[in-house]
Amino acid sequence: MTATEFALRADGVGKRYRKGWALRDCTLALPAGGVIALVGPNGAGKTTLLRLVVGLLAPSTGTVEVLGHDVTASTPQTLSRVGFLAQDHPLYKRFTVAEMLRFGRACNLRFDQGLAERRLAKLGIPLDRRAGTLSGGQQAQVALALALAKRPDLLVLDEPVASLDPLARHEFLQVLMGAVAEGGVTVLFSSHVVHELERVCDHLVVLNHGRVTLTGDIDTLLAEHRLLVGPRTATDVDRAGTVVEAVHSDRHTTLLVRDGAIPAAPGWQAQPVALEDLVLAYLRRPSEPSAAISSGVAA
Amino acid sequence: MTWLIWRQHRTEVCVLGLLVGMFGIALLVLGTQAHDLFPGGPARCAGEAGVNEACAASFRRLDEEYGYVENLLAGFYLVPVVIGAFLGAPLLARELEDGTWQLAWTQAVPRMRWLAAKLAALAGVTVTLTGMFTAVLTWFRQPFDAWEGRFQYDAFDLEGLVPVAYALFAFGVATAAGAILRRSLPAFGVAFGAFLAARMSVALLARPAYATPLTTMEPVPVGGSKDQAGHWPVPSFADWMIEHGYADATGRRLSWTEYYELEGAANRAGANLNQFLHARGIQQFGVYHPADRFWTFQLIEAALFIAVAAVLIGVVAWRVRRRMI
Repeated sequence: MTATEFALRADGVGKRYRKGWALRDCTLALPAGGVIALVGPNGAGKTTLLRLVVGLLAPSTGTVEVLGHDVTASTPQTLSRVGFLAQDHPLYKRFTVAEMLRFGRACNLRFDQGLAERRLAKLGIPLDRRAGTLSGGQQAQVALALALAKRPDLLVLDEPVASLDPLARHEFLQVLMGAVAEGGVTVLFSSHVVHELERVCDHLVVLNHGRVTLTGDIDTLLAEHRLLVGPRTATDVDRAGTVVEAVHSDRHTTLLVRDGAIPAAPGWQAQPVALEDLVLAYLRRPSEPSAAISSGVAA
Repeated sequence: MTWLIWRQHRTEVCVLGLLVGMFGIALLVLGTQAHDLFPGGPARCAGEAGVNEACAASFRRLDEEYGYVENLLAGFYLVPVVIGAFLGAPLLARELEDGTWQLAWTQAVPRMRWLAAKLAALAGVTVTLTGMFTAVLTWFRQPFDAWEGRFQYDAFDLEGLVPVAYALFAFGVATAAGAILRRSLPAFGVAFGAFLAARMSVALLARPAYATPLTTMEPVPVGGSKDQAGHWPVPSFADWMIEHGYADATGRRLSWTEYYELEGAANRAGANLNQFLHARGIQQFGVYHPADRFWTFQLIEAALFIAVAAVLIGVVAWRVRRRMI
């Protein structure tokens, strides 16, 4: 594998603000192509990680490589390969939509004005309206059209649909997935909403308390994890060190295990786990990660 | 970038341009009338005012008819801070408060190039507007300066190089405050406060010390009016008197209490004060900067404010470069 086959490689990345660490020991290698979801609760460090990826912030420790280049170099060439849609999709509120497009043309090496105009015309967004007078959904669409007109190799979106109503959210995702289907672009987006991810995403990164707690291809992750249901047991169930979470009810114990295909013990039933339950189980784990995960990450 | 900078800042530039233009035209109209009082030029007339009755009359008319404008102009010491802070405060702060910095710096223009273009353009507008305004104002004040000298606060602070340096200083403070506070309005306020504090302390404390002042000392003349104020022994009215008073025969400076004791003694003796002082060998002294130091002082003060502005802009560039924003 050559370096450029990774959309993103982070090595021991940490970001420290005055208040403390927002992100620690983050090591990731995300493949190019497809859609990557970055999931975590509010305050987990998602925005920090995405800003590091697009070079808006510099890491306090470690290095971030995007499409094979160190992002802190910030040359016009590297910048033009990455599109970014920040949270709440900021636009220059007093610019008209046409002026926003002119801004994009003036500030980029390649900018497909025709593509952006076609997208906006299809959505019925007039070019002579001021950006600040558009609805939230329309502003998000303008920001997305701007980012896509750069024809980026990597498109990064920070909570793109969090502030949108259900209809606008649906339309936005439709446009985004349409762009992915046209090919060529890797999409990395953050979300604190877990459901619907399975339908949209290929790859998953779970971030909690500033650390990566889970990362991998979604199909692989679902294949690796199982729910084991058996009689209630008070003894140490984590002999193999593969139990992600143990839930005890009056009569039963439910274990989420990451063990590949080890056969279940007698009296236990194995079930596949839903992606949402899997993510929630990892998010419920205590803030300090287990030794196994942090040592694997710090390599 | 040129289009973007114009589009983003055209409101400020137009409003400031309009204000400077309006005041400029008003000053040009009034100034033309005031200059017409001096057919031979105000500078030559000032030299002849003692002997030429027409010149003396011209200066009287100038004072009567345009003195109010001169007094109003003193308020224009705020013009540089309005121009500089109005252009500097939103440069980064508006991007930061609207979140659009994330948009601006993820296009293909590297952030340092973006910053350099913005700083150069807006500092350029600051210098141009302040420079134009100062040029008109300096021209308007020529007749007044011929009479009063250029070292007074209402002349030195409004003329020559320093207003442009003040404006750049305000621009630097407002830009840096905007980068740190991330809000335009507080940044403008900080720039305003810093401007007033810096200007006042420099004018009152630092400016007199740019060079060693000269001292004259001479015996109290026997004749002359009893009231000596305004006739301190300096070579020219245009010099900048920073201290004056009385000294005894040995040259030791008298405190004002000691002087009032002498005055009281003269009154009790019923003697003419001047003769009384003269008889005791009392001298009057003046500490001053000669008028020809005007440009030296202008250069020093301008350099001072521009240096601070440069440091502040350096801090902004450093923060942006280090991605601390």
